[in-house]
Amino acid sequence: MKKEIIVIGGGASGLAAAISAKKEGRDVLLIEKEDRLGGILNQCIHNGFGLQVFKEEYTGPEYADRYINEFYKNNIEYLLDATVTDVIKIKDGFEITFSSRKTGIKKVNTNAVIMSTGCYERTRGSIIIPGDRPYGVITAGSAQRYLNIDGYMVGKNVFILGSGDIGLIMARRMHLEGANVLGVAELMPYSNGLTRNIVQCLNDFDIPLFLSHTVTQVNANKNQRLESIIIQQVDEKYNPIEGTEKNFKVDTLLLSIGLIPDITLLDNLNVEKDYKTKSVKINQSYQTNVSGLFICGNSLQVHDLVDNVSLESERAGVCASQYVLSQTTKANKNVRVVAGKNLLFVTPHYVDFSSESSKIVFQFRSKMKIEKSMLKISQDNKLVKNKRINFVVPAEMESITLNIENFDSSNDIVLDLEVL
Amino acid sequence: MYDYIVVGAGIIGSFIARELSKYNLKALVVEKENDVANVQTLANSAILHSGHNPKPNTLKSKLCLLGNKLYDEVESELSIPILRTGAYVLAHNNEEEKKLDDLVVTTKQNEVTEFEFLSFDEAVKYEPNLAKTVTKVLSLPTTSVTYPWEVAFACMENAILNGVEFRKNSEVTNITKTDDIFKITINNTDIAEAKHLINAAGVKADDIAEMIERNVEYKITPRIGEYFVLDKRVKGFINHVLYPLPTNLGKGVLLTPQVHGNILIGPNSKFVDDKDRANNTTDGLRYVKDNAVLLADNLPFNEIIRSFAGVRSTSNQEDFIIRESNEVSGFYHVAGIDSPGLTAAPAIANYLLNKIMMVHEKYDTKCNFNPKREKLQEFHTLPNDQQNELIKQDSSYANIICKCERITEKEVIDAINGPLGSSSIKGIKKRTRAGAGLCQGGYCEEKVYKLIARETKSSPLDIVYDSQKSNLFVSESKVKK
Amino acid sequence: MTKSFICIVCPRGCRVNVDDNMNITGNQCKRGESYVLTELTAPKRIITTTARTVFKQLPRVSVKTDVPIPKELIYDIMNIINGVVVDKPMAIGEVLISNILDTGSNVILTKSCLK
Repeated sequence: MKKEIIVIGGGASGLAAAISAKKEGRDVLLIEKEDRLGGILNQCIHNGFGLQVFKEEYTGPEYADRYINEFYKNNIEYLLDATVTDVIKIKDGFEITFSSRKTGIKKVNTNAVIMSTGCYERTRGSIIIPGDRPYGVITAGSAQRYLNIDGYMVGKNVFILGSGDIGLIMARRMHLEGANVLGVAELMPYSNGLTRNIVQCLNDFDIPLFLSHTVTQVNANKNQRLESIIIQQVDEKYNPIEGTEKNFKVDTLLLSIGLIPDITLLDNLNVEKDYKTKSVKINQSYQTNVSGLFICGNSLQVHDLVDNVSLESERAGVCASQYVLSQTTKANKNVRVVAGKNLLFVTPHYVDFSSESSKIVFQFRSKMKIEKSMLKISQDNKLVKNKRINFVVPAEMESITLNIENFDSSNDIVLDLEVL
Repeated sequence: MYDYIVVGAGIIGSFIARELSKYNLKALVVEKENDVANVQTLANSAILHSGHNPKPNTLKSKLCLLGNKLYDEVESELSIPILRTGAYVLAHNNEEEKKLDDLVVTTKQNEVTEFEFLSFDEAVKYEPNLAKTVTKVLSLPTTSVTYPWEVAFACMENAILNGVEFRKNSEVTNITKTDDIFKITINNTDIAEAKHLINAAGVKADDIAEMIERNVEYKITPRIGEYFVLDKRVKGFINHVLYPLPTNLGKGVLLTPQVHGNILIGPNSKFVDDKDRANNTTDGLRYVKDNAVLLADNLPFNEIIRSFAGVRSTSNQEDFIIRESNEVSGFYHVAGIDSPGLTAAPAIANYLLNKIMMVHEKYDTKCNFNPKREKLQEFHTLPNDQQNELIKQDSSYANIICKCERITEKEVIDAINGPLGSSSIKGIKKRTRAGAGLCQGGYCEEKVYKLIARETKSSPLDIVYDSQKSNLFVSESKVKK
Repeated sequence: MTKSFICIVCPRGCRVNVDDNMNITGNQCKRGESYVLTELTAPKRIITTTARTVFKQLPRVSVKTDVPIPKELIYDIMNIINGVVVDKPMAIGEVLISNILDTGSNVILTKSCLK
């Protein structure tokens, strides 16, 4: 059995990628590890989804439902409860190993792979919080799942570390379900969440947001349950300032301290990494340096809007389809894309002049809040394009679309964000 | 009435239990925690030391050397994993090289026969990431690494198979002795009686002793060690246990390759007051990082998945305390077992039974003692055809619960229902590694708690993380006010 | 007394102040003004939450108010939803509670419940 494209993961990204590849006429198999399609959208019961794609405001499950229906309509082959355990490069493609109760361990070959495996939450282990190791310190996403899908509350008195959107959303959710949400602490001097979430999830319910603060101590009670935490203000170097300690009696600390692209399946492939996005490098076709390996959605870069995930993955599906059709392993003609002044990262990392895709969607995040800025795209110190962007914040990914004809195939493409 | 009651089911209590199970006698192990191996045995470097370091002619030096050798037998009988890494002790300059020479004197006195000096150039061939500042290396090929709680499980499981009784969640709250019979009170309510009482209570050993002795001759002064765990992706970054030169405080901050591919960084060493509180501190963890970089270059700190602190039951005596009480006959101390306690553990149990308690003089050996404990190899490490064979027998082997560590539903079910089964999230993690990987349970905790609820026919509201009162959930949602 | 709002019409997040004489300052565009006026006089919100079901395989189903409801009724409406149990298969978009508290808003399913 050989497929043309295997999509790994059936969340927002995988659904969109599979649909677009199938519409291009490809033979597609989607493999999902959970017992339902839709991925994390299933637990994101709040609204704010779909304004870009559908021009309508949906909740997560509603947004997923639209895509799942479309997916069914296109008669795309898929497997649920099936975990991919290995992706191996073979001649003319890949060998994918997956395991499920229904099928046992199976191997299937494919011309191309689209990785749409999403991201996982940073846990306490990846940051240093001194103190005990009690139960009750839990990622916001886990708490969200337990509450919204299983129907269980993880705590009564809750504090939230990190002002990422999931943390803010969970502050409101837990509050409305009867918990005492005592506050949110954010290490940075600005919030990592969308403004509307600050307003509608915190301000609406008088939940305080402590900017430039972090949790510096967690204490357990006799039963290993969280009993209290101490938060402290931090200086410019993020070191706690003595004398600013505040004590909160809480049984639960929700962590909303970041998401990390889940690319563990690529560990054994020689894929070039990007340490800023904590994922891998791609060209404008969402293809990695491993020919036929495509990646999109939150496993490529953590997005703040699901609409962008869908649109990006749709493009990746088309590109993967083009790759399968052309099948020629042309020598790549790569030009580097460089994240210049004030930018945290830019994708794609390369523009491949041998590729069919002439459209380049640059996506980037700024390092800081800038009221008025000018995005300058240049090659060999010559300005190719500039665009005024007002109000840039790290929490919101920006993008600009250009045609490959704007560039020459010999010099680095540099993006700078000038403060005006 | 029991012949022996053992207080504490850490690695020491578990080895003692297994040794006792070789005889025709009635034995009980009581443990205050909700699981075997939950305190000191759970949080240490997992090293089987060669014996190069302890002060010569102490129980520590003798039992360490002996224990290191005994682990070969333990490995084959109890199917425990041992990673034969060898160790390098590193010197960075002339002064340290001299200390390395001194260490070899100790090594020889301790009758450790296998060791050699390596130049940096020789060592770096086997350890490509060795710190460039290293000038000379003492290689100790008999140093290995094991999986401590798995060893304790194996011993206790085997002891239970051979007739020893085990009670968890059973804290000893009082001890009396009348007419040569010990009466121990458990959780302030139950009474158990025994002819002999073995105190293997680790960090609480002096507290247990105080229940029955007027003048306890030692004091446990708990010492905390803090660690980082690197994800198993780093496998191969280092291949040996890397030690700095030992100091008065112990062996220092080490890099230790682990059985499952992770690397442990740590520990520091800090005396603390509260025995129940193994705390991480900013300073402690910074100290660990600062010292670790002296051992290897380009340490992948970005692969840290966890930090933890472990408590060590250091006593105010220099050596292990393994002897009968001076005051109360039939009461035995196995106390002050800090490093190299894990290594020495099988030898400690032997020494206690054969040299101190003279069990062989009092009881017959059991003719039907079964020394074997079979453990199925971790499923994901089996060859494909064997995996498929097992899946044919039970399809739950094909359902992956923990994606990071590749743990299957069947393995989780076995961990719940096994002879030493557990129905806590942490108990399952200790037995299967579900939740021990990159996402630290983010993906699988939900699946694990549902399997526990299903297998034990209990409500999710009753599922605990570790102790009996560490419930995952406080209530259902949608409770109308 | 001056009241302060963060405008959420666009990502800029202007801090807009309104004094007793209804003088609006701090907004950088017209839309901010109307946002603040609504927030001042009749703030409304969509509630998204879950409802209990009788089904083991789907113990909770997500629901929302189909149009925004007055902000001050959030807790009352939550309480009503908390008391409702979905006891039959229902499709996404079906009405669970109609015209809740006479707000003109229906509580509808945002996910299909076994249908």
